[in-house]
Amino acid sequence: MGVIDFLWNGFLVALQPDNLLFAFIGVLIGTAVGVLPGIGPMSGVALLIPITATLTSGASAEEAASSAIILLAGVYYGAMYGGSTTSILLNTPGESSSVVTTLDGYQMAKQGRAGSALSIAAIGSFVAGIVALIGLIFLAQPLSEIAIKFGPAEYFSLMLLGLCAVSSFAGKSMTKSLIATVIGLLLATIGMDNVSGVARFTFNTPVLYQGLEFLTVAVGIFALGEVFSTILQKNKEEQAIAKVGRVFPTKQDLKDSAAPIARGSIIGFFIGVLPGAGAILASFFSYIAEKKWSKNPDSFGKGNIAGVAGPESANNAASGGGMVPMLTLGIPGGGTTAILMGALIMYNVQPGPLLFEEHPQVAWGLIASMFIGNLMLLILNMPLVKIFAKIIETPIKYLTPIIIAISVFGVYAVQVETFDLYLLIFCGLLGYFFAKHDYPLAPLVLSLVLGPMIENNLRRALTGSDGDWSIFVTHPISLGFLIVSALWLLIPIILKLRGKKVIINDES
Amino acid sequence: MKMNKWATALMTGFLALSLSACSSSPNFGGGSNYPSKPITIVAPSGAGGGWDQTARSISKVLNETKLVEKTITVENRPGGGGAVFMAEYATQEKKNSYKLFVNSPPILINNLKKEGNSPFGYQDTTPLAGLTKDYGIYAVKTDSPIKDMPALIAKLKQNPSSIAFAGGSAPGSMDHLISVLPAYKSGIDIKKLKYISYDGGGEAIAALLGGNADVVSTDASSVLEYVKSGKVRVLAVAAPEKLTGELKDVPTLKELGIDAEFNIWRGIFGPKEMDATAKKYWEDKLKALSENETWQKEIAARGWLSDYKGSADFTKFLQEQNKQVKELLTSLGMNK
Repeated sequence: MGVIDFLWNGFLVALQPDNLLFAFIGVLIGTAVGVLPGIGPMSGVALLIPITATLTSGASAEEAASSAIILLAGVYYGAMYGGSTTSILLNTPGESSSVVTTLDGYQMAKQGRAGSALSIAAIGSFVAGIVALIGLIFLAQPLSEIAIKFGPAEYFSLMLLGLCAVSSFAGKSMTKSLIATVIGLLLATIGMDNVSGVARFTFNTPVLYQGLEFLTVAVGIFALGEVFSTILQKNKEEQAIAKVGRVFPTKQDLKDSAAPIARGSIIGFFIGVLPGAGAILASFFSYIAEKKWSKNPDSFGKGNIAGVAGPESANNAASGGGMVPMLTLGIPGGGTTAILMGALIMYNVQPGPLLFEEHPQVAWGLIASMFIGNLMLLILNMPLVKIFAKIIETPIKYLTPIIIAISVFGVYAVQVETFDLYLLIFCGLLGYFFAKHDYPLAPLVLSLVLGPMIENNLRRALTGSDGDWSIFVTHPISLGFLIVSALWLLIPIILKLRGKKVIINDES
Repeated sequence: MKMNKWATALMTGFLALSLSACSSSPNFGGGSNYPSKPITIVAPSGAGGGWDQTARSISKVLNETKLVEKTITVENRPGGGGAVFMAEYATQEKKNSYKLFVNSPPILINNLKKEGNSPFGYQDTTPLAGLTKDYGIYAVKTDSPIKDMPALIAKLKQNPSSIAFAGGSAPGSMDHLISVLPAYKSGIDIKKLKYISYDGGGEAIAALLGGNADVVSTDASSVLEYVKSGKVRVLAVAAPEKLTGELKDVPTLKELGIDAEFNIWRGIFGPKEMDATAKKYWEDKLKALSENETWQKEIAARGWLSDYKGSADFTKFLQEQNKQVKELLTSLGMNK
């Protein structure tokens, strides 16, 4: 039987009425999970496992496994759809991979283009879901072989490229952008160092052993920062309420988004395949790429639709890509896929090299259901856009308390720790002062994610090579990334030296 | 107004969520009518990990089989690898017989290691029962030049840093201790061993398969599938006797003349000053649980091995493992 036959059989599994229902429940809950900050796809999936076990208890083992994974995977990519909603409307990232969406999404909402932003996010997610699916069907095997070749040296060089690209987030001043980057890197060193096992900057307080929670910092800086500036810089005249305007994107919007969606889908899928990289990085890289490729990079951060379309496609594609190493190698690419894998094991289905031979019904049923689930999400999300977009019409005096409540409850529900609430407020103040004095916020948040990855992989690579630095240039993939990083920094400078007028973010 | 309804619904949802998240009850002891109210089992980690799964399985089976009539809820308390929860539990909840928690060897390790130390350990609790077991293993890629455990030890004796061990946890934690165990027992200076830590067993195995590590030391259950598909070979298991199933032909360290084993147990604990009635109640219930058919099915489905130890046996076992962990950490220079 060829791929098409397997896929056909998969659709027969996924189109059974109860599995359609499971997929629908999954994507519905997933959307909700994505909208609520704090509760990410990971805890959402974990908390639903016992419930799916009860729901599927009557069926045979194989059928129960297919139904359960269809529901749980629905939660996973449903959350990727939902995450954009609060980012765009309230400047509050619903989950970590939607952080960059706040940059342009919120600006669009302020300009009354919330409807366009939300629907482009949904359309982009749908396209990306389909692209990832096609990748999963045809490239899973060869890609997984490449993915495991990615050792510490390769990861280090990839992350370095990411850090170089942070300059793309710079506002008016490169210096301020670098200051924000370094602050993020410093904050990232708090906690148990995973390579030497040494506790750094923890002052023997157990709450700090695992470092600062990324989401707490991101929600604080973006959402509460905005709240503080609304309160403190209270405009003399009551701020004009943004109008929702049209719900569906204009033809021009669609035209502007087509290429970013395509690029975001591809970038997202490939980054998703790498174990440990994940959707956060995928969305960041996509944003950076869009800004780099754009004819008009200055418009980013001011409501450029490409800054929504690219990252939102990328994070959804990454969730599809993340399935590749899990299904073919039994190696989860991140927290959520690890939990999905645990759920499969519970049904006696072991993901790994033998999955497609031993349990074709489960594997292909899941793939087919992802197609159906993505379609459901598109249909589900388009009418919701209308309702959600109304939120932006709420007067500030009602909206502000809601944002505070969502942020506080969201963070507390996950961390169950008052320390994180203090951190949230502190980051809110930090975010306010940063924004007030024109320091870009994104580099801080990005380097908080990249910092530990760069450091751990650098040291893993050097431990492996007995301290020999040449490991980074003798590995071809690693060398490739290093060259791109160098060009990234050098080309604008060279062009400038030759008198070309380029946009280089330095003080003038 | 439509909007207000929406907001109200949203707020109510959040309120319910936040209330359920902080459902801690005041400290009441037991008394003869124990249990008179719902019971909480804490997983000192986020949702989805091993502790969380264990806690959820226990509460599910106890309630489903009506062994315990009172509702059992699972609470997640992430932070500091369990240390945040322990600090609170051992000081503020030491009489609360309605709050139990699950743990595994990290409760010993965190208390003994220097960095990231948790000031409270198993001595500050009442160990109620050990429920499952798993064992440390040493795995190489199928085509690795390292043929067997003696060959590995011989290489390490020649040059202790010639082999890159990979594990899924930070230095000084479980996978690291497992990796140094055979070398330690063979008289090799384990400070010179090369251990590369990854974020979780999955990434460690990826490093092995991608040729970025020579040996993976982790728990037996995480490598089964790779053994089955012929991608990795297991050199030895740190178990008292040979395992069954896929690993039935793998020699134990003891059979190879290395006097060592490492039991990765999972157990359930109560507060230090647990009420006597409550303690007796849980000892009986947990013993009944371990013999229950539904429980056997549940743990088989999750790929765990049953290993019931009553409170007294469990405490004695913890004392022994505590000694072993202390010895290893001292040799690594990572002890408190």
